[in-house]
Amino acid sequence: MEKILEKRSLQSWMKKLDSWTIYAPRKDGSERWNYGIAQNDSVGLNFTVTTLPAKALVFPQREVFLEFLKTVEESQETLKVNEVIPGKNPVVIFGVRPCDARAVSLLDRVFSGDFVDPYYWARRKQTVLVGLACDTPPWENCFCLSTEGSPHSEEGLDVLLTDLGDKYFVKTLTENGEKLVNLAKGLFKEPRLEDKKKAKAVHAEAEKKIVRRVKRAKKDLAAKLKGLFDSPLWDDESMSCIRCGICTYLCPSCHCFDINDEVDSVSPLRGKRVRTWDNCQFPDFTMHSSGHNPRPDKASRLRQRLFHKFQYFVEIYDKTMCTGCGRCISLCPVGIDIINVLDKVSDHGS
Amino acid sequence: MNVQDKSPAEAKPFKPEPARIVRTYHLTEDVKFFQVRFVDMQKALSFNYKPGQFAMISVLGAGEAPFSISSTPSRPGLLEFCIRRAGTVTNALFRLKENSLIGLRGPYGNGFPVEAMTGKDILIVVGGLGAAPLRSVLLYSLDNRDQFGRVAVLYGAKRPAEMIFREEYFSLKQRSDLECHLAVDADDTGKWTERVGVVTTLFPHLRQIDAPNTYALVCGPPVMYKFVIKELVKLAIPKNQILMTLERRMKCGVGKCGHCAIDYIYTCLDGPVFTYWDVIHMRELI
Repeated sequence: MEKILEKRSLQSWMKKLDSWTIYAPRKDGSERWNYGIAQNDSVGLNFTVTTLPAKALVFPQREVFLEFLKTVEESQETLKVNEVIPGKNPVVIFGVRPCDARAVSLLDRVFSGDFVDPYYWARRKQTVLVGLACDTPPWENCFCLSTEGSPHSEEGLDVLLTDLGDKYFVKTLTENGEKLVNLAKGLFKEPRLEDKKKAKAVHAEAEKKIVRRVKRAKKDLAAKLKGLFDSPLWDDESMSCIRCGICTYLCPSCHCFDINDEVDSVSPLRGKRVRTWDNCQFPDFTMHSSGHNPRPDKASRLRQRLFHKFQYFVEIYDKTMCTGCGRCISLCPVGIDIINVLDKVSDHGS
Repeated sequence: MNVQDKSPAEAKPFKPEPARIVRTYHLTEDVKFFQVRFVDMQKALSFNYKPGQFAMISVLGAGEAPFSISSTPSRPGLLEFCIRRAGTVTNALFRLKENSLIGLRGPYGNGFPVEAMTGKDILIVVGGLGAAPLRSVLLYSLDNRDQFGRVAVLYGAKRPAEMIFREEYFSLKQRSDLECHLAVDADDTGKWTERVGVVTTLFPHLRQIDAPNTYALVCGPPVMYKFVIKELVKLAIPKNQILMTLERRMKCGVGKCGHCAIDYIYTCLDGPVFTYWDVIHMRELI
C-alpha cells in the first residue's frame, strides 16, 4: 500500500512500534553516520549514508557461536558445547539505503542453501527494513544503476520511504511492512495523485544525479573478466593496496568470516567460539598451516574480490555481488577505484 | 527474504559433538595418528561418510580445523585421522592424551565417487601426507576387494621415517591381488630396500594399465600434482578419471565463510576431490 506520513509524525510512528528495537542512523559524536538504537531524542532521517552498512545488524562484526565447558573429575573429562542462537529481539531498522537493503537480500542467499545458517536467520527473520530512497546520491561514487539497482530500489526492503520535503511517501512492500504502518494507522494519510507524481519525479531526478557507471553490464562484464584471469592488470591495479581491508569490511555484501575460540578460564576449561568478519585481502585468509598460500600476492587477492563479485556470484546466483554503494571507492585510503578497474577490464583488448 | 531449504531451528551446522580420543601415537616425528569415537554410541554408529570426505575437529579453547578422514566407512564406529603438527589447533591436539575429549562435526565435502569407481581399476598415487585421505579409499577398496578391478599403489615419501603407515604398505607388497611400489627421495638409514627417487620414478615399474578403465587417485604436496598428472596423462587415463583431493584453508566447512572459495565453487562443498578436468577449467585449483 501507499501512504503519506508527515515528517513531524516520524517520531510518533517509531513510538508506536514499541515491541521492536528501533535502529536509525545517528552521528554518535563522530562525523560519520552509523546505526544506533533510536531514543526519544531527535531521531530524524537527515543522514547521508552510514559508514557500516545495515548488514552489521543481521550479520554482526562479532558474535558468539558456542559456549563450551570441559571439566575433569577423577581424570575423566566431560565436555559440554551449547549453541548460542540469538533470542527474541525484533528489530526495525529505519533509514536503510536501497543499495544496503539489496545487499542484505544477497546475504539471504548466501546464508541459505544446503546448510542454513541458524545465527544469521535468527536475526534476519526478526528484522524489518524501512528504507529511505536517495534523492541525492550520498556521495559522488554511487553507482547503483550499474549493479541492477537504483536509488529507489525496493529489493530487500519492507517499506520504502521517499522524501517529499515536509513529508514521506510511504510504500509498503511486504506483510511486515504493512504491519508497521497498520500499527500507527492514524498517522498515515492517503496519498494524493500529486504526491505519487512527486515521488516518481524524486526518483527520476535522483537517477539523473548518479554520474558514475560501469561500462559493461552483468553478463557481459562477467564474460570479459573470465578471459582476464591471468592478465598483468591485477598486478598494476593492486600495486598501491596497503592490505587494510576497508573495501571488504565496509562492503554491504561481503560476508566472509573467521571462527576462533576465546578462553575465559583454563581450569575448568570454559570459553566461547566466536565468529568475526574476515577479509579476503589478507594474506593469511588462504594460507595453509604448512605456509603454502594458493593466493599469495595482492594481485591474486584483488582479482579474487572482483571475480567473486562480478563473475563467480553471477555464475551461481545470476546476481552481481555488488550493489554500487561506493564505500570501497570513497573510503579506500589509497584510492583504488573499483569502477576504474572494471572499466579497464571492459576496455581490455579493444 | 529468500529463506531456503531447511528451517534454521533444526539446523546446527556449526555445533561439534563430543568425541573421545581412544588411541593416539606418533606415525612420524611430526605426524600423529588419532583414533576417535563419538561419545554418543548412536552417533558413532550412524556417522555415514564416503572415502575422501573430511571432518572438522575442535580442540575447544584452541579452535577448529578441517582434517580428511583416514579410516574407511566399511569399518564403522571409529574414525581415524593422520595429522601433522603445523598450527594452533594441531599443536593443541598433539598435547591431548588418550581418553581426552574433542569436538567433531561432519562429514563434509564430496568424497571419492566410489559408486562410479565400482568395477574399475584403481591407481593410487601418494606423496607424503597425501596418504592420510587416500588411506580411506585404499582400505575401502581392500574391504570390498571383489568390487574393484586391479588395485595399484605408488607411494613416495621424503625419507623412510616419514612414510606413514609403512607397515601397512609393506604388508600390501606381500599380497598377490594388488601392486604396491614404494620410494623415498633419500634413504638416510642405509636399510631401505625399496626404490629411491621421487614418486614419479615409480611409474615405469607399473605393469601395463587399462587406461580407459582406470581411476587414478592422487594426493600429495602442492608441488607434486603437475608432475604426477603429466605421467597419468601420458598413460592416457581420461581426464575425468584423474581424481585429486586438495587442501584449502577452511573455517566453516559448510560453504559460508569464503576461505576455501576457488572460482565459483567452495572446496568444502564441491571438493575436496576434483578431477583433472576441473583443474583445467578452474584456475587456482592447483
